Amino acid sequence: MAGSTIDHLISVMVFLGALLVFISLFNQMIQTAILYQRHKFLATKCSDLLDNVLLNPGIPADWGKRNDTPCGFGLQDPEFTQYRLSPFSLMRLLSSSGDKVYYNRTGELYSNVSWGIGGGYFLLQEGECINYSLASKLLGVNGTYGFQLAVTPTVNVSIVEDKNVASYLRLNITVMGQGSPLAGASVDYLMFWTDSSEPIRNSTKTDSLGFAYLDFNGANGLPRIGVSQNKTAYMFIAKANLGGLHGIGYLSREIVTKAGNIIPLVENYGNGTVLLAHKWGKNDPGPGDSQAALFFNATFYVLPDSFSPIKNVTVEGHVTYGEELDYYPIQIPTSQVGYLVVTYWTGNDYGMVVMPWGIGTIGFSVVFGGDPSGQEWVVTDVRQVLVGGIAYQARLALWSLEGYGVVG
Amino acid sequence: MMRTIEVLLVIIIILGASMIASFFAVLPSPREVSPLNLRRLAFTTLQVLDVNYSLSRIVFMSPDDPAWNELRIALSACLPPNIIYNLTVYEVQSGNATELYRFKMSISNAESLGIASDAASYLVASSNVTFHVIPEKIGERGVGGTLYILNCSDARGWWITGYTAQSLAQDLKNLLEPYFKTTVMVQNTTDFGKILNNNTLQGEVVQNAVVINTFGEAIPIPTEYCKQPYYNDNYANYSYFLGQQVRRYNWTWASIVGYPFYYVTNIGNFTNNQNDWGIYGMIKVDKPGMNAFLQGLDNRNYNNDPTDIKSEVGVVSLSSQVLDSCNYYGIYPFPNQTSTRALRNSTLSSYNLYPALQIFNSVNVGGTVYNPGALYNHRSGTRIEGSLLALGLTRTPDIRLTALGLLSYYKPRLYRSEYTATNTSRLVVLQLGLLGGV
Repeated sequence: MAGSTIDHLISVMVFLGALLVFISLFNQMIQTAILYQRHKFLATKCSDLLDNVLLNPGIPADWGKRNDTPCGFGLQDPEFTQYRLSPFSLMRLLSSSGDKVYYNRTGELYSNVSWGIGGGYFLLQEGECINYSLASKLLGVNGTYGFQLAVTPTVNVSIVEDKNVASYLRLNITVMGQGSPLAGASVDYLMFWTDSSEPIRNSTKTDSLGFAYLDFNGANGLPRIGVSQNKTAYMFIAKANLGGLHGIGYLSREIVTKAGNIIPLVENYGNGTVLLAHKWGKNDPGPGDSQAALFFNATFYVLPDSFSPIKNVTVEGHVTYGEELDYYPIQIPTSQVGYLVVTYWTGNDYGMVVMPWGIGTIGFSVVFGGDPSGQEWVVTDVRQVLVGGIAYQARLALWSLEGYGVVG
Repeated sequence: MMRTIEVLLVIIIILGASMIASFFAVLPSPREVSPLNLRRLAFTTLQVLDVNYSLSRIVFMSPDDPAWNELRIALSACLPPNIIYNLTVYEVQSGNATELYRFKMSISNAESLGIASDAASYLVASSNVTFHVIPEKIGERGVGGTLYILNCSDARGWWITGYTAQSLAQDLKNLLEPYFKTTVMVQNTTDFGKILNNNTLQGEVVQNAVVINTFGEAIPIPTEYCKQPYYNDNYANYSYFLGQQVRRYNWTWASIVGYPFYYVTNIGNFTNNQNDWGIYGMIKVDKPGMNAFLQGLDNRNYNNDPTDIKSEVGVVSLSSQVLDSCNYYGIYPFPNQTSTRALRNSTLSSYNLYPALQIFNSVNVGGTVYNPGALYNHRSGTRIEGSLLALGLTRTPDIRLTALGLLSYYKPRLYRSEYTATNTSRLVVLQLGLLGGV
């Protein structure tokens, strides 16, 4: 009797022990499978959401050209079909790539798409932007998914001054794709120079490494531009093309003169009001000529497909250090893409900055949405898109917000 | 002891089950769990490369052309470094060919595309292909289908500065003739008088026709109507008569620019009359003309009403419906225009005219809605008895807007022919794979 009881006890214990082991084994297997399914669902959702954003223009379709709030979110260019994005709608996205800029004279924050990268600025008043929260609500993912959308040029056209050449301006142009250089690409360029009333237009070609250089030394039809001092300034735009792939880049010679320099701030998106704000260096000016007026000439160029800019609006004026002339409001046309070129000077010091109207006219990137870092599982998907004829890549990162374990 | 053995047997069975389950429950590889959508990436890559028809140009070149190398570089440059590709071009066969696609050329940056790849195809046509678009004829599937374009040689236009009515009529004919069953150019006011009396000019159907007045703010008047009672109130009574006829024949009357029915014109009868601006052969009816037309259209008694029902509303924009039609019909007028003769919506509603198509978005001026351009239906209960297309824009007219308005309203379909002629189409297949990982 005792033997059978012991036998019973041992068998029950062994059975329970084995059962526990198997349950945990099956459980782990099932959990992994469910997690895999949810991750896959997230990837599908990411692809769908990306197409949803890129293949519809939103409601109203022209919300990118207005400063009111859309009731449907989409970035497609309403004048085209397929993956062509509106250069205007992209401008209105609240940038998450750079910290917002606070301008104490207006007391407003500005979305920072570009703060002086290569002398290029695009700062749009925050109130005119579409923020992440609104976009999430309009896309129907608020509280369930987080996302970040990055629209970046496929072709990187990098332009730098060659510091080894001191007697004249040499510009080194490097055209790189995502995976390799654009060898043998034709490069059309425009040079806006303080000493020339019209932009200089010409073209060149990259070598097998995607590299080209231009010597502005008075030969080969190019003017001599001396940049050893700050007695001149320029803004250079290059558009590369190879096998149907188009990329664009720019370099603007922005310097801080003794009287500071100028930053364009988009104050009113709807009517195109831009503040040419007086910016100082790190320190306020001291006595003497550092408080001199800073003069400027701001010209807006419309950029048609032909890459031949058309001068549209020119405003001349000055700003000074103090309370009254801290900034100068100007108005630019808002219905067509182009760029605002601002030349400023005091005494013999010249500088130039550029502000695009339409993402794509000088190859700016836009990053919009939340921060994917620290999320348990982030999926990405990518599409090739066109912004004003320039090749871009739209990359969407998506993650679930419904707790650990990625609830699909 | 037996129970322990039994339990061990059970354990063996469960273990077996577990192993069999693990064998069948194959989990996807990590790459497949969260994959890039390579199909869409491939498709969008082909679209980007064809932005200016570069891809369409290159794939028709001979295999030793340097352009293929350009395409290879462009492909490598626009794809992320971890993506490998194979682009294959096939010629589309037609006729009695045994195979549908014939291999022409392939470029790749890897020997194989790994374990997971996806492909997209893109059909391109040679630049020497002729596309055929066959429009549906208005009236084919129902009533109407006649387009009358007033091209009267014995009348003069106003507010059409820079054009003659005859040149506008010809342009309108070129634009709209393919969409109508019958297009009739009304060559003189006598012919116009005939259709006003339900007499056909070329055997066409008068009922339910579209009549386009190319004379701007002036209306041609046949000689037979240059008399009592039509000349009452500077011929406002003639506009009243026109309104009645539009209602009677269920016409769609199209006014291409300005304030409709503002003048009447007949060179032969108004030899010594001018329109206050030095244009002879014309008499100014003024604002009563439009109101009289509305009275006639709404079957009311005639009353000389000089009320001004227009407003200058400035720059206006095309409605979304018409913008869609721009792409469909391939007619692209400038989307923003200046309107100085927008009609008051409430006045038209009081005559039972309701917008069936907003060509331009309506404008609110101090709480009053004005329509810069719209096609109105005159409703009598549920029936439509006459329509009016009025474009209250400033001069000079863009007749594409009139054409677009009519097409947006009648919506004739376009039947596009397939482009599969021999040696004129090529199929480009881009297959993408991912490097690295498992």
